[in-house]
Amino acid sequence: TQNYREERLTGRDSLVFLVDASKEMFIKGEDGAPSNFDMTMQVVRTVYTSKIISSHRDLIALVFYGTEHSKNPNDTFKHVYVYHDLDEPGAKRVQDVDALRGEKGAKLAAETLGCGPSSLGDALWCCANLYSDIKLRLSHKRLMIFTCREQPHGGDNVKDRQARTKASDLKETGVVIDLIHLMKPGGFDVSLFFRDIVSPPEDESELGLQLEPCEKLDDLQKRVRAKEQKKRATARINLCLGDGLNVAVGLYATAVTARKPPPVKLYRESNEAVRSKTRTFHTQTGSLLLPSEIKKAQTYGKKQIEMEKDEVDFIKKFDDPGLVLMGFKPMEKLKLHHHIKPSVFLYPEEGEIKGSACLFSALLKKCSEKNVYALCRCIARRNNPPRFVALVPQNEEVDDAKVQINPPGFNVIYLPYADDVRTLDLPRCTSASQEQVDKMKDIVTKLRFKYKSDAFENPVIQKHYRNLEALALDMMAPEEVEDLIMPKVEQIDRRLGSLVDEFKNLVYPANYNPESKPAAKRKTADSGGGAEKKPKVEVSMDQIKVHVQNGTLGKLTVPVLKEACKQFGVRTTGTKKQELIDALMDQLSS
Amino acid sequence: MAKSALILCMDVGFNMSNSGPGEESPFDQAKRVIQKFVQRQVFAETKDELALVLFGTDSTKNPLDNDDQYQNITVHRNLMVPDFKLLEEIENQIHPESQQADCIFDIALNVCVLVENTTIHKLDRRNIVLLTDLNSPVSSDNLDVIIENLKQADITLQFLPGQKRPRTEGRPGHGEAHHQLCMFKRIERRPMAWPCQLTIGSALSIRIVGYKAVTEEKLKKSWKTVDAQTNQKDDVKRETVYCLDDDNETEVQKEDIIQGFRYGSDIVPFSKVDQEQMKYTHDGKCFAVLGFTKQSSVQRHRFMGTQVIKIFPGKDDEHAAVALSALIQALHELQMVAIVRYAYDRRSNPQVGAAFPCIKQDHECLMYVQLPFMEDLRHFTFPSLENNSKFTPSDEQLSAVDSLIDSMMLVEEDEDGKQKDIFKVHDIPNPAFQRLFQCLHHRAVNPGTPLPAMESWLKATLECPEVIRERCQSALGEIKNKFTLTQVEKKKKLKTSAQIFGKDSDEPEAKKAKEDEADEEFNLADIAEGSVTSVGSVDPARDFRTLIRQKTLTFEEVCKQLTHRIEQLLGNKSTDYYMKSITCVEAFREQSVKLGNADLYNSYLQLLKSSIPTQGLESFWELLVQDGVTLISEDEVEGSTVTRNEARQFLVTERIEEAAAHPAEDPGDVDDLVRIVLL
Repeated sequence: TQNYREERLTGRDSLVFLVDASKEMFIKGEDGAPSNFDMTMQVVRTVYTSKIISSHRDLIALVFYGTEHSKNPNDTFKHVYVYHDLDEPGAKRVQDVDALRGEKGAKLAAETLGCGPSSLGDALWCCANLYSDIKLRLSHKRLMIFTCREQPHGGDNVKDRQARTKASDLKETGVVIDLIHLMKPGGFDVSLFFRDIVSPPEDESELGLQLEPCEKLDDLQKRVRAKEQKKRATARINLCLGDGLNVAVGLYATAVTARKPPPVKLYRESNEAVRSKTRTFHTQTGSLLLPSEIKKAQTYGKKQIEMEKDEVDFIKKFDDPGLVLMGFKPMEKLKLHHHIKPSVFLYPEEGEIKGSACLFSALLKKCSEKNVYALCRCIARRNNPPRFVALVPQNEEVDDAKVQINPPGFNVIYLPYADDVRTLDLPRCTSASQEQVDKMKDIVTKLRFKYKSDAFENPVIQKHYRNLEALALDMMAPEEVEDLIMPKVEQIDRRLGSLVDEFKNLVYPANYNPESKPAAKRKTADSGGGAEKKPKVEVSMDQIKVHVQNGTLGKLTVPVLKEACKQFGVRTTGTKKQELIDALMDQLSS
Repeated sequence: MAKSALILCMDVGFNMSNSGPGEESPFDQAKRVIQKFVQRQVFAETKDELALVLFGTDSTKNPLDNDDQYQNITVHRNLMVPDFKLLEEIENQIHPESQQADCIFDIALNVCVLVENTTIHKLDRRNIVLLTDLNSPVSSDNLDVIIENLKQADITLQFLPGQKRPRTEGRPGHGEAHHQLCMFKRIERRPMAWPCQLTIGSALSIRIVGYKAVTEEKLKKSWKTVDAQTNQKDDVKRETVYCLDDDNETEVQKEDIIQGFRYGSDIVPFSKVDQEQMKYTHDGKCFAVLGFTKQSSVQRHRFMGTQVIKIFPGKDDEHAAVALSALIQALHELQMVAIVRYAYDRRSNPQVGAAFPCIKQDHECLMYVQLPFMEDLRHFTFPSLENNSKFTPSDEQLSAVDSLIDSMMLVEEDEDGKQKDIFKVHDIPNPAFQRLFQCLHHRAVNPGTPLPAMESWLKATLECPEVIRERCQSALGEIKNKFTLTQVEKKKKLKTSAQIFGKDSDEPEAKKAKEDEADEEFNLADIAEGSVTSVGSVDPARDFRTLIRQKTLTFEEVCKQLTHRIEQLLGNKSTDYYMKSITCVEAFREQSVKLGNADLYNSYLQLLKSSIPTQGLESFWELLVQDGVTLISEDEVEGSTVTRNEARQFLVTERIEEAAAHPAEDPGDVDDLVRIVLL
């Protein structure tokens, strides 16, 4: 439970990979399967590149133990090789890790690292120094030990004890130690030594220790991934069931749209990053304006209405942050199309209000049993207007390897207000006959596949980073990106075979071509309209004035409005219609 | 553009002033209704035009005015878009008058047709709203004829709350009309058709058209910054300048800035041209099926994006309708969904998403929702709740929760066995908009007065329904008895900046002594070099100490240089710089105590505190609080005006909520483009 309450302060996350480099790690699997060392490097590389994309500010280190050669600050520790000290991952480091992969990698490892006696105590001590040498605030410290040896010291009690001491020192300073144990003949008995090294799991389940050793790269990736991302609540609030009955909960963003990061501005001469400073000043006097010297304004009904900055905040404030229970509804009342933004995850915060987890757990269990969701009013942050949310129960689910797939808790689904649901003119529909439907069912059945939410990479982001990688590493050309969300047209065509034609014969007449544009009604581009269009733009100044008076500028098109701005000498930077109208109104209505 | 016209006809004759004791007169009611209505129109910014015609006025002003016909009728305002001027006029210029207009309907019709002719626009819909108590002489036979006439002229006649309305069906009762008028109009947007082809492989395509069906609506307008004195937007200018991260903050011209991207710790210069050439490109608009999967494998909580798109068959294309219907029904029967690649157009990023079948009584469609990319997902593991004996609820506790749920069901079956939902969120108008409009309206018509409280009806819509609140009382009490909930005392584990700097906190005494030694050495070295002439940016705290020891500059001057440096550092809004700033503040404090001069330091710290909200320095302040860097009290420096208690209290600010790093709305590639252009 020590991790229940992370400090909510800004700071860097850090992760140290402590990898066993003994000769056992380099033994290849059956049928030429990659060695444990090779698999580990693969995973380390994945973490490096994914950190670069998702959280480049995190610090990562890569340390080997059980090496012949030593490399660490002042070379205090024998047989410990700090390959990368704690720092942000970059292109060079990815390359370094790449160099240790595969056949060539094993050779390089043999040369640079070599295999020697192990002292996990020394290795942990060395890692402790890595942490303490960091001049930055660290918010989360994690250390992962990759090994296939259940007893690194071959039963040497002194060394074992020393390792245990160092491990507990590390844990004392807030470092979480994980064991990623790898397959070895005869199985891996965690209880022999590592039980006392690793941090206890957060719950009583001892989940971590029951885990089977990783045999396949997939399992390894999954297990590392589950640990490598630090969960951090985006908000800690109370769920009020009514009458001052509060359960403390944390909101967690489990899916956040990853984006291409914005560019960094650099000074041309030196390629160093520049800082930007934004200032607000008075146009006439040029003096800087203090917050008290500006106001906020909006224009409605030809009138500019002003507010103080704190009034603007006051308007937004409905209540203090929190979730307030309105009641419960059967699950079928939650409509599929009531979706306005990605959901977040809700989990109790025992550290804020003791007893929260128990009541939360009871609520979860009962909601799930009765197949209902809880409807709540939600204000996640200060001065946020309220939203209504559905708390949908989710039971814990683990896979065969006992890795958690779905954590226990509520998914928070944001619900739309009346304003958010648009009224559509429903076209008249013709229904298909059962024969037509059945044919389509054949098509659908042929193209079945098992959907997994993490199966598709974002080609835009991947391409962007491959480009950067190529530039950073002076590669000739960026690595090719496979666009996974491109339909595999040939494969689909082959699978469907004659079904497509059969279906088309059932639904389309012979001369019908769905690809052709429907008879274009609007544009008459062919009538040489270029010359005629021009005069249209001209609207007399008087006419504009009439429009201003009547508030009917919205009737005019954007080009006309732009022209009008020019005619009246109205300066505007806006290009949107409303901006142009506002500018004209400001100038002419007074 | 579709547009409608509305003529409000308000009876202001003497008959409207009659009311029972304590009752609101029909006139006041009608006026209130008109005000609310116009308000709604103003904030909805519809292009619909509105005219106001008054009946029963003492004077006469209308186009048909001649001799003795059409008397006591005033066209107060011809058809035009309503604005605040109209609202002010209604507020101040419309009073009950003493005449009575005869044959109000005949006249209304004729006047209104004329009023309508004053507009130059083609109108799609014409409405006349009459506000009268209908005590004016009119026979009901006559009324039917008039209504028929209006129908033929394609004009809709509506009554707003007169008290004794003629009994015609299907008109809202008074209360209802008023309640509807209380709300500001919901935001309405013209649905934009997105024509495309749904493709399955290379040979099968179906013409479709998509419409955004659900999305978080934003207001069309945002706050502008104006000068507080002149209220002019043009008097305020915002400017962004760029500077190097050096001591002098050397300014760099825009032309000398190129762009780069971060690749982990590396910054890779990457010109716009290169970026354009190398970036991911695709064929544009697309709705292509990748395959089909079970509906259950697409989890609701994995929905991404900010919208739901409804897909209908291409317009006026019967064959497309049949083909799409076959797909919708097939998916429905098989309980499957299509996984598709969706791209709005060439400039926007492609997505992966699911198309669900949706079959309603009056229509069929596909509903498209975006699904996550691998990069979007965070795989958090949470401790099990079931396996933890401490958290396992007892049977008693479970049954208490059970009854709470039963007592708080918002969906009930009525006598006919029909389900009734008493709390439909999608019928509630966005309270943020309602509140904003209320305040804007208030400020516009009552300038100089404080903003009003939230309207009670709005407040009520956000609360748990009264029935439920009463019904759940006993169950709630039971929960309180069965569960123990105790607030955990906030014993915040204080992290000092020493820890942050990675120094071991286990051995504070010894370490500290060592540090002081080191400090001394540093300073000696500096003095020997004699190189420090001003507080630089590399190690401002050290420079500060050195300068004070050198005594070549006054204490005030050195403090000024230091605080200037602190301001610069804080401008960066990053933890690294915050840490540096803290060492500066600490040095400032330490030297001030040493020299027995608390005033400069204390007033600076107070200034700093007051600038937290405006500068966004909350997290910096939290660091200061944790390190306990507070005011210098009279205990430390004689002559300080601060007591020890005040110094302690100084650090206690209201708890600052962490603003979570929620990403802004999806700017997509189009915005990237804009950003690049602006660079």
